[in-house]
Amino acid sequence: MNIVVCYKLTPDAEDIEVKPNRTISLEKAEWNIGEYDLMAIEAGVQLVEAVGGQVSALSVGPHQTAASKAKKDVLSRGPDDLYLVIDDALANADTHLTARLLATAIRKRGPFDLVLCGEGSSDLYFQQVGLQLGELLGVPVINAVSRIMPADGKVIVERSLENEVEVLEVPLPAVLAVTADINQPRLPTMKEILKAGKKPVTEWTLADVPPAGGLQESVTVLSTLAPKQVERKQIIVPGNPDEAVQTLIGYLSKEGVL
Amino acid sequence: MADQTIWAFSEKPALLAELIAGARQLSGAAAAVVVGPRALCEQALAAGADRVYWLGETSDSRLVEDYVPTLAALVTEQQPAALLIGATKRGKAVAGRLAARLGTSTITDVKRLSGEPGSYQAEHLIFGGGAVRTEQPHGLLLCTVGQAAFEPLPPEPGRTGPVVEVPFVAPPWQLQLRERKEKPPVSVNLAAAKRVVCPGRGLAKEEDLALMRELAQLLEAEIGCTRPLAEGLNWLPRERYIGVSGANLKADLYIGIGVSGQVQHTVGISEAHVVVAINKDKTAAIFQQADYGIVGDLYTVVPALIKALQARK
Repeated sequence: MNIVVCYKLTPDAEDIEVKPNRTISLEKAEWNIGEYDLMAIEAGVQLVEAVGGQVSALSVGPHQTAASKAKKDVLSRGPDDLYLVIDDALANADTHLTARLLATAIRKRGPFDLVLCGEGSSDLYFQQVGLQLGELLGVPVINAVSRIMPADGKVIVERSLENEVEVLEVPLPAVLAVTADINQPRLPTMKEILKAGKKPVTEWTLADVPPAGGLQESVTVLSTLAPKQVERKQIIVPGNPDEAVQTLIGYLSKEGVL
Repeated sequence: MADQTIWAFSEKPALLAELIAGARQLSGAAAAVVVGPRALCEQALAAGADRVYWLGETSDSRLVEDYVPTLAALVTEQQPAALLIGATKRGKAVAGRLAARLGTSTITDVKRLSGEPGSYQAEHLIFGGGAVRTEQPHGLLLCTVGQAAFEPLPPEPGRTGPVVEVPFVAPPWQLQLRERKEKPPVSVNLAAAKRVVCPGRGLAKEEDLALMRELAQLLEAEIGCTRPLAEGLNWLPRERYIGVSGANLKADLYIGIGVSGQVQHTVGISEAHVVVAINKDKTAAIFQQADYGIVGDLYTVVPALIKALQARK
């Protein structure tokens, strides 16, 4: 099976700094592979282990995506090679532009049987890129896939919806967005980490893969602010544990919540 | 001139009623897009829709998703000002494919909508709840909206309006449904719980959940937890974690025990009426998010609290 796994390198939300005016800064953030994309990578590697073939990793994004540590990280998780489209103009690309770029890059790479995406990116979590990508490539696409079973010329998938699980036959080629619990991504072994540095990397610019429809975006971001803090009383109840819980019970009775 | 009507679509009738109310609130004119039994069209009119587009029924050989080309053709022809789609997994699948066909982006899980036709603004959470982003679409506002963003209008049985039957546009491909399996029923609905006891990483071992359960039973509370306890440690099922991709509480009382108070978690308790925190680290962020805090070891404070509550009974 010829598989492409898509991933996004994202700033770690834990490293966000909130400024006094509620704006946020990502300057000190560490960039990592999106946590839900790890499951897509693992799913691709598991399929190839089961039925043979090869897995390419693909990402589009700003220069952080092409950092040598980031390239090694993704390749140490099992993909055979890596394709990147790098431009700092893509730092805030909307889902439609991202999907158009991925589609162009996948076409340039060549034929595929399966494209796998994560449930959503761990920074913006729109859960949309995989679906748009399938539609743009003109192939079957489905989200919430919690199990993939290869069959002849197709895959049988389980799709985990809110109250039910659908078992669906998906003809190949296809694009699947997998759930966060489809697998437990393994940690790269030392052997894989050493191998990662020798795997082929193809780095493209926007000139190499011009997206159909150009670079214009379909939404404008007006603001990104830390959530408003809810006003809380912030009363620290004093005393030893026995005294403190009595005082607390008094407060809670007065609030009428006991 | 482009239509000023806002459209609402969801395969879940209750959520559709909420979206219709939202559409009415924003523009005054709401149309519903219905996929399913014909009776749902009358239900949508009663819920406040001024017009219904009926796409057709679903069956084992025709899934909701198979209507994407039909819906895309209809939106292209009618040019609504906005399309609100129920934020279920299925709704998001429809929204994403529709966005690709219409050449735009979907804004998912919108928490608040405002503005006028042509300049709508949509707020949604990013960075796992660490930030609120406000976006303005350049053309059609295409978004998914979850439960409880809008209050449904009181139903008006007998309210009438045009029901337009939309011809089916055959999709280029279809997925074959082999089987549909019920998921085991969800053990808890934290969003509806009155009181919630929530252990965090301060809990040393899984067996100590017994202490949490004892407290919860006395308070007639549900057990919630922070994400690491449900994903990673797997001490509690996924539906019990509170926070951005988990449950959002509307409880009267939340008691966080050994919870540090990361924003990804506290975003889920912002609508709780009274927040109590018990943590041995007096610098824990949770104390800024709490009404009442006790600084102390949970293994002495919680037993003391249990004893005091028992004495009250």
